[in-house]
Amino acid sequence: MALSKDELKAAIIEKATKSPKPQLYIKDFYACDPDAKPREIKNIANELVREQKLMFWSSGSTTMYGVPSRIKNDDGEGGV
Amino acid sequence: MAKHETPLLDQLESGPWPSFVTDLKQQAATKPECWDILGILELSFKDRITHWKHGGIVGVFGYGGGIVGRYADVPELFPGVEHFHTVRVAQPSSKYYSSANLRQLCDLWEKHGSGVTNMHGSTGDIILLGTRTENLEPFFWDLTHDMNQDLGGSGSNLRTPANCIGESRCEWSCYDTEEACYKLTMQYQDEIHRPAFPYKFKFKFSGCPNDCVAAIARSDISVIGTWKDDIRIDQAAVKEYIAGNYPSNGGAHSGRDWGKFDITKEVIDLCPTNCMWMEGGELKIDNSECTRCMHCINVMPRALRPGAEKGASVLVGAKAPILDGAQFSTLVLPFIPMSADNDFEELVEFIEKVWDWWMEVGKNRERVGETMQRVGLPTFIKVMELEPIPQMVKEPRSNPYVFWAEEEVEGGFERDVEEFRAKHAA
Repeated sequence: MALSKDELKAAIIEKATKSPKPQLYIKDFYACDPDAKPREIKNIANELVREQKLMFWSSGSTTMYGVPSRIKNDDGEGGV
Repeated sequence: MAKHETPLLDQLESGPWPSFVTDLKQQAATKPECWDILGILELSFKDRITHWKHGGIVGVFGYGGGIVGRYADVPELFPGVEHFHTVRVAQPSSKYYSSANLRQLCDLWEKHGSGVTNMHGSTGDIILLGTRTENLEPFFWDLTHDMNQDLGGSGSNLRTPANCIGESRCEWSCYDTEEACYKLTMQYQDEIHRPAFPYKFKFKFSGCPNDCVAAIARSDISVIGTWKDDIRIDQAAVKEYIAGNYPSNGGAHSGRDWGKFDITKEVIDLCPTNCMWMEGGELKIDNSECTRCMHCINVMPRALRPGAEKGASVLVGAKAPILDGAQFSTLVLPFIPMSADNDFEELVEFIEKVWDWWMEVGKNRERVGETMQRVGLPTFIKVMELEPIPQMVKEPRSNPYVFWAEEEVEGGFERDVEEFRAKHAA
């Protein structure tokens, strides 16, 4: 059964907080609710960014998500 | 006076061509951080390794794209480029802008950044190179409020869509590329400014198969103008070309004497599908064999024109990576109508179908063309609910086995073996 919006937000934050990696791809959040469509997960994750509970981390070519307290500011990865 | 000794870079000023080193030295007169660009690059030449780090959380509030973080890994040596972020500004459709707009943009970048620009990045954006994190929000405010311009795409976003000049200046354009690009840019603002996908995604619009924005080589979805009916021929103009009264290629090669125009040698024999010939003094075309290469139309623009029933072909899956080789996009929809009257609904419907599939099936950092390669074209076209067409076949099959899905076999795979053996001995 699909999670409610608030439940999904909580699951995403929990995943971002407890994951060994500080930065996660959007696909890493798909498992938070296997019944939700990828686009719904993306919209919720982006809403959490607007609420400043998540942050974007961008290499230039790829964008990842993380909780603000865990993301480093200036390390790079990958190619642009 | 130079802040750093740059003997290796100075060599790049010695040739007859314009040099970015000279430009940066000139810019350093008013923007001293440009000395540090030269200094860090000289050090990279010596050390044979980059001293740039890229990536980070820099951006403007509410946007997940448009800014690429850049940092020096030796800020103590080159404090002017400790932060040197890149800003991508969405280019106007067809890259039409007034000199007043360019001056305003340059003034804005002198105010908030290094003044160094790259016109344009390979996606098409206006690239502004070099600013500090604290300057990003003021720059963005001025850009959007004073200039009514916006940032482009970066990261896992839809990248800034690009289009050729289309019907605004080109007689060959088979649809209004500017309208299509503008409409889709406005429709997908969220996807441009906030990450949505496993990796970057680009679409580009070319009005005809000359493909002046190289959509077929660079975009995940290439929308290339084409026509359904016959090439329109003006036989009287063909005769004028043969007589040498009209210059071939619109006079593009007239700077040198290439000899008398020879329609057989320069047009008919160069047709990739051999679908043209002369008969009774007239040029004939077997249009069913035409692949829309545009060569004949390019050579004799006054005699030949694209057909009247116009639209676009949609191709999927190009990418131009540095490391593992370029990949052209694959023809998926041979012809769709392209009309602003219905908001390009056939195209929009297809794009969203591709996105829904790729967002689910695509791996992290995998372009849609790579996903297509991984699952195979037959799977892709099945998911897209399309009928295969000959243009999708790369080469004839090399193994003799034909694999059937159970639903394609009458009676399925369940059968009574005894009954079968009664008629077919083992």
